[in-house]
Amino acid sequence: MRLEEGWVPVALSSSIEAGTSAGTVVSGSEIVVWRDTGGTAHVWEDRCPHRGMRLSFGFVRGDHIACLYHGWQYDAAGQCRYIPAHPKLDVPQTIKVPLYRVAEKYGIVWATASADALLPDLGADTSIAPVRSVSIDCPAAAVQTELGLEGPAAVITLDGDTLLVAVQAVTPARTCAHVVLLGAEPQPVARQKHHAHWAEALRFRLETTSEVA
Amino acid sequence: MSEMSAAARFTFRGRMVCGSFTEFALHRARRLDIEIDVGACDADAATFRVRGQDDLVDAFEMACSLGPEDCIVLDVERS
Repeated sequence: MRLEEGWVPVALSSSIEAGTSAGTVVSGSEIVVWRDTGGTAHVWEDRCPHRGMRLSFGFVRGDHIACLYHGWQYDAAGQCRYIPAHPKLDVPQTIKVPLYRVAEKYGIVWATASADALLPDLGADTSIAPVRSVSIDCPAAAVQTELGLEGPAAVITLDGDTLLVAVQAVTPARTCAHVVLLGAEPQPVARQKHHAHWAEALRFRLETTSEVA
Repeated sequence: MSEMSAAARFTFRGRMVCGSFTEFALHRARRLDIEIDVGACDADAATFRVRGQDDLVDAFEMACSLGPEDCIVLDVERS
């Protein structure tokens, strides 16, 4: 699914700590996922309007992110607020980074360019424990088929636990599957490790299958 | 725009493809919040009149001196 088509899972919430940024790709579109020091997640086009540097290489300062290249600083609305080489410049409103709508639910950061898309409703958003994100060299449809998912995000039962698997199409040949444990008991470390191994085995199985095909 | 302190006339000389160079200049002017009037353009030169903040007019000159990939700017005249 593309960002224009609906809510796309782009990261585990736990993977984006406050004050950090990370780059990822959705159907070929490069995006930066960053979290300000107040805890709010942001998803933008991963490109500084100045010279095209990836903002995911930048630094988060409070509720701003600064480009690594020349230090241009952008506020939470994507508006450039400060250019170090021109400290007295009244930065025009036209210097702005395109941004996406963001939501956090089920321990996952979701993003979309759609104005009216609805977030997936997969039950209670409580007792969530992150498992892991796993990058797989195969199409998103192959992951969905392998797991019997009816959409890009679905709940499955595995070894007595309930897992949410959310599928991010990175490119036509690469997929990222974000896995979280729903209804987790307190201190579910052993179950997290168990299902992390399952996710790794899933990757091995799918990549081996695609090599054979 | 809070401060309209600079007006300039630029002539970019070199090997020009008028359509792409003009489109490139208009895009950079929009990005830099600069008012622009497109003047004469031929295979050797393109002329623009611009108005905006000093630093942004300088940035416009720098951006256009690089130009789009199908044009080569060899000289810039600013007045």
